[in-house]
Amino acid sequence: MASSDEELVAKSQGGDLDSFNQLVVRWERPIYALAYRTIGREEDARDVCQETFLRAFRALKGFKGQAKFSSWLYRITLNLCRDWIRRERRQPIAQAPEGVDLIELASEQTPSESIEDLVARKEISQAVARAMAGLPDDQRTAIILKEYHGLTFQEIADMLDCPLSTVKTRLYQGLSVLRRQLDREGVGRNHV
Amino acid sequence: MCEKELLVSYLYDDLRDTDRARFDTHLHDCAECRAELNALRGVRADLISWSPPQPDFGFRMVREPSISNNAREPEISNVVEMTPRSGRPASWRAWWTPAAGLAAAATLVLAAAAGLARIEVHSGADGFTVRTGWSAFAPQSARSFGETGAPAALPGAGGNVAAAPQTAAAPAPDGVAPVGSALGVDPSVIAALDRRLGALEAATREAAPFRNASVSNARPSDAEIIRRVRDMLAQSETKQQGELALRIAQVIRDVDAQRVADLTRIQQGLRGIEASVSTVDAGHRELTNYILTSARQK
Repeated sequence: MASSDEELVAKSQGGDLDSFNQLVVRWERPIYALAYRTIGREEDARDVCQETFLRAFRALKGFKGQAKFSSWLYRITLNLCRDWIRRERRQPIAQAPEGVDLIELASEQTPSESIEDLVARKEISQAVARAMAGLPDDQRTAIILKEYHGLTFQEIADMLDCPLSTVKTRLYQGLSVLRRQLDREGVGRNHV
Repeated sequence: MCEKELLVSYLYDDLRDTDRARFDTHLHDCAECRAELNALRGVRADLISWSPPQPDFGFRMVREPSISNNAREPEISNVVEMTPRSGRPASWRAWWTPAAGLAAAATLVLAAAAGLARIEVHSGADGFTVRTGWSAFAPQSARSFGETGAPAALPGAGGNVAAAPQTAAAPAPDGVAPVGSALGVDPSVIAALDRRLGALEAATREAAPFRNASVSNARPSDAEIIRRVRDMLAQSETKQQGELALRIAQVIRDVDAQRVADLTRIQQGLRGIEASVSTVDAGHRELTNYILTSARQK
């Protein structure tokens, strides 16, 4: 049976490097996904992901377990992403190709999915990426944490140091902007 | 709580039962909120299609055992990134402990400098001698010549000193001119340098007679060699088994992580289907209501 995060953190704090590496394996994909969706660049997201674990390791002694380990990692990641955006002085980039490569798409095709469906899905994905990149940081972060990481409103509020109502407002505003943007691009479901 | 907050809570199914019932009633009466709710559900379903790429990470924390004083205490200065399986972003270099890199670079620079300057360091009975520059070429040439012309003339310190000038002055076998002569170097200089070289070699032999003896007497027997080879093979097998176990553990971890990621995607997909179904359901309900209302009016 796999150890819990708390057990692995305790062992890591005792000097067990292997336990920390198990935490890395467990959380590297969600952390990378968070970084990628926040800043939109594959290579930079990977750097942020590595830096997150390095900082977490450095600060592990100071982690007292008030929050979940994953929430702690998310917070570090978001801080690093914020630094990246500030440093680069630019909006996140929607890293989506302009055209649709059918050969590349064919490799991603599931048996039950027609190529037309697949192309449509890719177009929606690219449109979503562009629309998300255009959102203000706070709205985008709230949507990412809620939609893709399944955090509760309270967890998001704690992580972003803001009231619960603010989280809901940001979500509502962000989703509304996305709805209008996707409608304008004419992709996805009918949001009207 | 304002209506928009209620709407968001309802959208994410994060409401108390009383609040849900109240909002259900509101939705029943408010077509605008109903339409907005369905539209936001559609947006949520579209969001699912945006998935990040799946890079091959392969970086792990590793400890450098030679630096660490306490094996149980992880020190970040001793922790570096392990070999990534693919790609190499620039910042990964920053994970490498700089001390080792600097030491390696310094060694290379010193070696290159020594090679260029032809530095030679000797120790003997008269202390340390350091020779640099092209001056080192002459004794080297003289030594080569001496060994070629009279290899038997260097049995000991006494005979060597006397034999060296003769060796240096003698013609080389096969009619090849002595290197020193060919370069226009005074034979007396070569002789002096060769004498000095002979003295140094003799001093070295006297200083380490036991070491030479031990080397010559330490020829292992065949059985000993076989035993050593077997030991090496056993060590190699043990190491390979350890590496294999590590790889298997890594694969298991990767599969587990992939399984978790797949489950998350499946859950997201189900959520999308649920949203679509509820959208369709709401449409059907509206249509039914419309038909019923029309029928009633007729």
